[in-house]
Amino acid sequence: MSSFNENIKIAFQSLFLNKLRSALTMLGIIIGVGAVVAVMSIGSGAQDSVIASIQGIGSNLIIVIPGSSQEDMGALNQFSTADKESLKLEDVEAIKKYSRYVQGVIPVILSAAPVTYFDKGINASVYASSEDAEQVYNFEIERGKFFSKSDVANSANVACVGPTVAEKLFGDEEPLGKTIKVMGKNFKIVGTIKSKGTNMFGQDQDNAIAVPITTAMTKLYGQKYLSMIIADTENEKDIDIATEEMTRILRKQHALKSGDKNDFSIQSQTEILEALSTVTNIFTITIGSIAAISLLVGGIGIMNIMLVSVTERTREIGIRKAIGAKNRDVLIQFLTESVVLSLSGGIMGIIFAAVIAFILNRYSPISSTISPFSILLAVSFSTFVGLFFGIYPAMRAAKLNPIEALRFE
Amino acid sequence: MVKNLIRIEEITKTYKIGKIQVKALRGVNLNIGEGEFVSVMGPSGSGKSTLMNLIGCLDIPTSGKYYLEDIDVSKLNDNQLAVIRNHKVGFVFQTFNLLPRLSTFQNVELPTVYFLGKIINKNKKIYDCIESVGLKGKEKNKPNELSGGERQRVAIARALINEPTIILADEPTGNLDSRTGEEIMAIFQQLNKEGKTIILVTHELDIAHHTERIIYLRDGLIIKEERINKPVDARDMLAKMPKIEDKINSEVSK
Repeated sequence: MSSFNENIKIAFQSLFLNKLRSALTMLGIIIGVGAVVAVMSIGSGAQDSVIASIQGIGSNLIIVIPGSSQEDMGALNQFSTADKESLKLEDVEAIKKYSRYVQGVIPVILSAAPVTYFDKGINASVYASSEDAEQVYNFEIERGKFFSKSDVANSANVACVGPTVAEKLFGDEEPLGKTIKVMGKNFKIVGTIKSKGTNMFGQDQDNAIAVPITTAMTKLYGQKYLSMIIADTENEKDIDIATEEMTRILRKQHALKSGDKNDFSIQSQTEILEALSTVTNIFTITIGSIAAISLLVGGIGIMNIMLVSVTERTREIGIRKAIGAKNRDVLIQFLTESVVLSLSGGIMGIIFAAVIAFILNRYSPISSTISPFSILLAVSFSTFVGLFFGIYPAMRAAKLNPIEALRFE
Repeated sequence: MVKNLIRIEEITKTYKIGKIQVKALRGVNLNIGEGEFVSVMGPSGSGKSTLMNLIGCLDIPTSGKYYLEDIDVSKLNDNQLAVIRNHKVGFVFQTFNLLPRLSTFQNVELPTVYFLGKIINKNKKIYDCIESVGLKGKEKNKPNELSGGERQRVAIARALINEPTIILADEPTGNLDSRTGEEIMAIFQQLNKEGKTIILVTHELDIAHHTERIIYLRDGLIIKEERINKPVDARDMLAKMPKIEDKINSEVSK
């Protein structure tokens, strides 16, 4: 019986003999496997960054936005100013007062505004909220302090700055105590915020300042409504009941009669995460099926080339059989060859995907990680393709009659 | 009386080509003893290739019995036939049938790859075998780097490596010039002297006269057997033949 090593050696020899042919045959598998691995890594990378960005703002969150829209992505559209005016500061007070399950609740107005210090300026996200935002929104203070309850009550002109803003405006200078201008109004810096990195959309979350909601409403925007209300619960199991409770309180606040539609949308962080993973899952499935088709086509290519190879090497098969190769030896020889062909394609596909992942990580905000699982999947898939599409040509080789095979010209 | 290595009793072989039945062998009886050097002669279509394939266990007879060392070959399946070929038969072909991509060493090694069980000192055995056919130093050459005679020597080494019971040579000199053919016959005669049983198929009477017994085949039947009392000694013939260099020298001197 021929040994395993011997078969591998024979397989590589014959693949190297027809380098171009082998490479072209492998191409289908390389593209197929490369696509699968790349998509899986981007998919999981995207999911990771979504989770990271949402968890970056705290956990067990419930998000209320104005308008009755129930679209899945509605709550995430946080950077547009709400055109509906249903959420008020009083709603936040009411939730704080009547809710038993909500731990913290904050009003939020989000917008982008120019922030300047002498001759330097930057367009930053302005998070207007209450003092509770430090805990609910997960703002970690590096130096100084977050603005206080009395700052909010007095509409004080104070701000906390994110690292990007601090660096752009002050460089190596100490920002604490300095006065910056936001939309032309003076704000005194009382604290610096720790870095949060970029979010899933590639936005720099550190290019931000936080100011008291009251100051923003009266002095900056002159508006009486909020862009969202964010609440959190002490633990995960309270989320559903807290959501119901908040809905009840808000409906009462807004004097909605039974039968009226909500004039706000309320969603938990988990729901948003689920909605997002649905999107990434659809993406993964679509590209995954393209990859599967590519693997199928690649497999047919392997089968085709193996059939050609069997015909070309009929005489070799005859010689091997004459000197004592059993049908099984010939079968294993050709099966090894198709698996080696397919598996080499698979490994090159993984390398191909790794290069794509590297480029994406380096030059785009999308982070992608190649998981051991996707490598395992790629390796087993390409082995399977090699076996499945190699078995028929190998069986044809094995069944050849040695006398006729020896006579083959 | 030498032991009969091969016993063939009333063997027939019928091929189906399309709807036509071709009777290649029509009842052949043949005994070959251990250590014999036999040649099979006959015109094309006489059934000598078919007989060769049956003796070489590449095929099984339609009817009749074939015993190789008391093993009833006619009852074996494909796998068992493969094992018999590997262990008991060494083939030498007219067209050499070496694997073109493999070196001399690898070609000679090939039958050991399919050998059941372990071969002691395998590499040394292969080198010795290559040396015994006079190819020392050509172990790494590919077949296309060798002359026809050298290729046939590789094939003989390959046939010998698993120490077969019989050596089957199908027109081994057919593709060689007469001097090289004589050299190959010298190797066979040497092997026979060392005790190997050799069966040679040829259509050249000159070559057949190097063996001890000639079997004439026609239309699927043995029509005549002839014992050669004094076989031609290939080495004497070689001594009488002018060497190619001598020939060239004599041409030049003229």
